[in-house]
Amino acid sequence: MKTVFEKSVKGRCGVMPAALDVERYDFDADRLRDGLVLPELSEPEVAAHYTALSKRTFGVDDGFYPLGSCTMKYNPKLNEEIAALPGFRDAHPLARADKMQGSLAVIDTLSAYLAGITGMDAVSLQPCAGAHGEFTAMLMVHAYHRSRGDEGRTKVLIPDSAHGTNPASAAMAGFEVVTLASAPDGSIDLADLRLKVGEDTAALMLTNPSTLGKFEKHVLEVADIVHEAGGLMYYDGANLNAVMGVVRPGDMGFDLVHLNLHKTFSAPHGGGGPGAGPVCCKAELAAFLPDPQVVRDKKGFRFGRSDWSVGRVSAFYGNFGVCLKALAYIVTLGGKGLRAAAETAVLNANYLREKISYFYPVGEGRCMHEFVLSMRKLRDETGVTALDVAKGLIDRGIHPPTMYFPLIVEDALMFEPTETASKETLDAAAAALKEIVDLAYTDPAALHSAPHNTPVGRPDEAGAARNPVVKG
Amino acid sequence: MADYLSISDSERKEMLNFLGITDVDDLYADVPMALRRKKFALAEGKSQQEVYNAFKELAARNATYRSIFRGAGSYNHYIPSAVKSLASREEFLTAYTPYQPELSQGILQATFEFQTMMCNLTGMDVATASHYSGATAAAEACVMCAGAAKKVVTFANVNPDTLETVRTYLEARGIALEVLPALDGFAFLPDEGTGADAVYIESPNYYGILEDTETVIASAHAQGAKVIVGGNPLALALFKSPGELGADVAVGDAQPFGIPMSFGGPYLGYMAAKKEFMRKLPGRIVGETADAEGRRAFVLTLQTREQHIRREKATSNICSNQAHCALTAAVYLSLLGPEGLKETAIKCASNAHYLAAALAGVGAKLFYEREFFHEFVTITPYKASAIAAALEKKGILGGLPLDEHRILWCCTECVGKADMDEVVKTVEETL
Repeated sequence: MKTVFEKSVKGRCGVMPAALDVERYDFDADRLRDGLVLPELSEPEVAAHYTALSKRTFGVDDGFYPLGSCTMKYNPKLNEEIAALPGFRDAHPLARADKMQGSLAVIDTLSAYLAGITGMDAVSLQPCAGAHGEFTAMLMVHAYHRSRGDEGRTKVLIPDSAHGTNPASAAMAGFEVVTLASAPDGSIDLADLRLKVGEDTAALMLTNPSTLGKFEKHVLEVADIVHEAGGLMYYDGANLNAVMGVVRPGDMGFDLVHLNLHKTFSAPHGGGGPGAGPVCCKAELAAFLPDPQVVRDKKGFRFGRSDWSVGRVSAFYGNFGVCLKALAYIVTLGGKGLRAAAETAVLNANYLREKISYFYPVGEGRCMHEFVLSMRKLRDETGVTALDVAKGLIDRGIHPPTMYFPLIVEDALMFEPTETASKETLDAAAAALKEIVDLAYTDPAALHSAPHNTPVGRPDEAGAARNPVVKG
Repeated sequence: MADYLSISDSERKEMLNFLGITDVDDLYADVPMALRRKKFALAEGKSQQEVYNAFKELAARNATYRSIFRGAGSYNHYIPSAVKSLASREEFLTAYTPYQPELSQGILQATFEFQTMMCNLTGMDVATASHYSGATAAAEACVMCAGAAKKVVTFANVNPDTLETVRTYLEARGIALEVLPALDGFAFLPDEGTGADAVYIESPNYYGILEDTETVIASAHAQGAKVIVGGNPLALALFKSPGELGADVAVGDAQPFGIPMSFGGPYLGYMAAKKEFMRKLPGRIVGETADAEGRRAFVLTLQTREQHIRREKATSNICSNQAHCALTAAVYLSLLGPEGLKETAIKCASNAHYLAAALAGVGAKLFYEREFFHEFVTITPYKASAIAAALEKKGILGGLPLDEHRILWCCTECVGKADMDEVVKTVEETL
């Protein structure tokens, strides 16, 4: 498809501002640029271009989207309308706080709900995405230890099954990363933990349920080991959707949490963002949260600052519009609804996994809200890889699961159906997967060359990286 | 209550039967009992209608203004209906990061086109897909440019939120940040002895002033420092680009390109750089390639920089970015084109120069006698908050009081002569 630049015709224009009603100001010519290349198109052409692009994009309303670890649940339309209410949409962030009590109430109320859901005491909504929340929490860990004169805690422990953002965030916050081995079932190897924890441990970063979709049974023991060594426990909220309303990170022994409002709390992913990654913490860490914080006094809500804060991590108050959608979701579902969402997410995942187990090995026990299949058996027997299976699903109208993650499982495919998928959708997905597995034994070439029903086939990614073309 | 579930009670039973269990609780067997018994106190759910009404009431607790003269990092521009309509298409809004290129050519191509637009505006060779905000884009650019000296220099006239964010990011990495005083609102870099790896300057700066960026760049380069130029990208429609002036990296916030103020976010951090930084940049980049049949295809590329591959050695931890804001900006820029964008910038600047002159006429003089774009600072000793309050009473969001004496004003294309005359009259009455 042609780019918007290739469709451009000199002299066309979609939208012009209203005419000036004051004298036109001319800057000195030596400041001015010579020319500017942007698309020149009429509004109908712009509408046609972006509509065509949208049809080459797959959203959650277009079909099953079991992308593991990403919680691709339905994004309620109501929340979009709420975020677009003029009172919120047109609110200037630097208007006086006493004139913006609605927005401050949103921040305060959402913070209180998130504290309740996680079992924490204080919250900052400023971090703009999950990784940004991780980074913020690691800054807080650093500030906490330093405030106690405990300068030697330079290391952060992270399981080998963790998302790549965990070690990257710890490194950005100035820590050295120590990788913990996983037991075969994906839980933390306690012996390895005992070996590596010590006076230099600043924190342990843990996702629970783990990226293998298993609840960390020994979480209380892990927390005790880390706390006894003087370290803090950090909860990566990527998988909270399995347990919200059922069990709280604060009760599991965690000191800090980040949440992904764009996963667990139904805000849309926008093709890669914006998200929101609030950080929640126990009272003893509250003073270190990013500035500013919403505080309430007799006159109402206002912004306050803390002498101990790690400072700002972004402009203004973070992705307010995304937070608004998450609050609308929480208020709509209520406590029972959130719990029902978690339980249904876990039920859907187990149902799909059990269906698959009739024709492909899925491993022992039950899973939480997601599960990981190793395609190693299929690969060894037929040459069809996890990538081929993923592309085969595309031809059957299903967005592929997460591929080749976690790294500790060979040829991994990670399925997360979420609670909003229907039983028919799950049945159809199991049938599609069976068809693919059968096809692998009869006509593997048909899968090596998949997908066949998309505007393009598999792109040459190696070539793209070798000779980068990054602008048109 | 709406719960957005698609499983009926009888289906639930059927599914539990299929799993050989009677209660969904059995699926939580790995969660220690002691933890499961904790109370979970949260209100009952509500119907969609009740929720909508409740939020309408909350929204009504925010003041709405007839006209807005405040900027300082958040700008009230007209957003064409087509921008809102096209960007809100479900496919764009609800898709995940385009990890499966065959299903994501639309969002990938739109991002590629956005990168191209930002390269053209900034005069650079490569742009990233987006960052959380202008503040984090500046911070990540400073981290990227820091080297052996572990020192970055900036000026007291950059946006204060950006300055604080840069400080947070640099401190975490043990990189020193020196903030040089801004003389008369203007950045001045000494000709020698800076000892920094990089210099961060904004033009227009926080006070709206157009800096002598070229001189600062020449001085920094002579001392071996890279230069990161920040600023409002709307100004790039008119003025020589950072790339043309010799900068190494350009950053800023593209919120003025069709993104609502929304109480400070989500906004759109951008970063563009010279070719030599291509493999050092933080965050996602989309590249063009082809499939086996030679059809043009777009993919996420240069991923060996990123956290999911490099983990603690990645150039950044960024994963989710502000992709949908980038798409929105691309639609906005496609609709306005070079002429529409230039006229918008000229209208903003013309309004600002009219207002500045009229305010000076009633005693609110320009504090900095420097050329500015669409923001400027006035001085009215001990009257700043009185002026803001008087405007507030008339339903006008006035300029931002910087202290008791100085006000930072902003004019966009959304204000007209009548709005500005009303401001001038109110200021005159207050003084």
